[in-house]
Amino acid sequence: MQRIPIKLAKADMVLAKDAVTPEGQILCGAGTKLSEELIVRLRHQGVLVLSVQGHPVRMPGEKSLAERLKELDNRFSKVSSDPVLRALKHLIGEYWVVEEKGAEFLEKLKKEAK
Amino acid sequence: MDKAEIRKRLNDIQSLPTLPPIVSKLNEMVADEEITAVKLGKVIEKDQVLTSKLLKMVNSSFFGFPQRISTVSNAIVLLGFNVIKTLIVTSSIFEVMQASDVGLFEHSLGCATACGIIAKLRQIKNPEEVSTAGLIHDLGKIVIRSELPDEYEAIVEEAEEKGLYMRQVEKERIGFGHGEIGGILARQWNLPERLVFPIEYHHKPEQAPDFKEIAAIVHFSDILIRALGFGSGGDPWVPALDHAAWERIKLTKSQMKEVIAELDEKLMELQDFTLEIKLDG
Ligand SMILES: [Fe+2]
Ligand SMILES: [Fe+2]
Repeated sequence: MQRIPIKLAKADMVLAKDAVTPEGQILCGAGTKLSEELIVRLRHQGVLVLSVQGHPVRMPGEKSLAERLKELDNRFSKVSSDPVLRALKHLIGEYWVVEEKGAEFLEKLKKEAK
Repeated sequence: MDKAEIRKRLNDIQSLPTLPPIVSKLNEMVADEEITAVKLGKVIEKDQVLTSKLLKMVNSSFFGFPQRISTVSNAIVLLGFNVIKTLIVTSSIFEVMQASDVGLFEHSLGCATACGIIAKLRQIKNPEEVSTAGLIHDLGKIVIRSELPDEYEAIVEEAEEKGLYMRQVEKERIGFGHGEIGGILARQWNLPERLVFPIEYHHKPEQAPDFKEIAAIVHFSDILIRALGFGSGGDPWVPALDHAAWERIKLTKSQMKEVIAELDEKLMELQDFTLEIKLDG
């Protein structure tokens, strides 16, 4: 899931969460596929941000998945002998992979690793 | 500088904004009689700036109330007086932090969010109190930064150069870790021990004289938020885990997964919140 400003929304993106106005009014539900017309309508209703599935937009300054995973590794470098924290690191890495590439991709990676 | 001198410096802190006068008044009111949330709320609401800051905090995503809280007395009922008092006492410090160290500000908000999620999972009675402990756990770092700026710079540099944790260098150079310093301050402000101990012992939660579970949650949340790389706590490393504390609050693998997913989602909302604060100026 990614949260994007509505001006970066494009047709065919799929909502990961309900589209809501800043006042909290729900306009359409999670799972809705966006169209150009729908985006315009949501903007007119005052929607500012949308949560969409996957990770369709690369924001300026945003790091790639590979970079993030490498930094994750670095942050854990002082505690790499701790089994609990090692497990935590793996869960975070896997979560990021699934968020960005989907669950099938992670399965494929795991198979390849074997 | 020796320990006694540092302690003296902490006793009459100059450069940090002083406690708002309203705090001592509120303390008196609470000690004085069986005061109602409505009465307390009325006193606070006389200060409009404070009220709007307070409402912004209580409505932010790290407390995660589904409905908007629109009055102070409502906030007192929902979050408890300890939380409201702490937010008032620390509001000026957070202003300093926001301006001087956005990384630490985000680290603090993120830690508060993680604390709230884990406290709810463990069905702790007042999870907002645990969030609040998380929010101010690194208070000591701000104090070092604003009171002993030269030392602070030297600490950051030495930590980076030698690849050490900040608190290792703090101990060596000024005789206190930031946890202890935060504890000293929180005590001076008469915050309850449920908040003082978790701040003071967030890097060694099992040594806390009481409220070990809250201390353990803050300890682990600090680790978790650094693991995710949200905000910055001075040095870039994930702190060591205290395994006795972990045994106390241990999460299963699937609980851990849930916590990561929920936290990640809330952190995205938090970014909207910090952006809002920045835009508000
Ligand atoms: Fe800390
Ligand atoms: Fe911290």
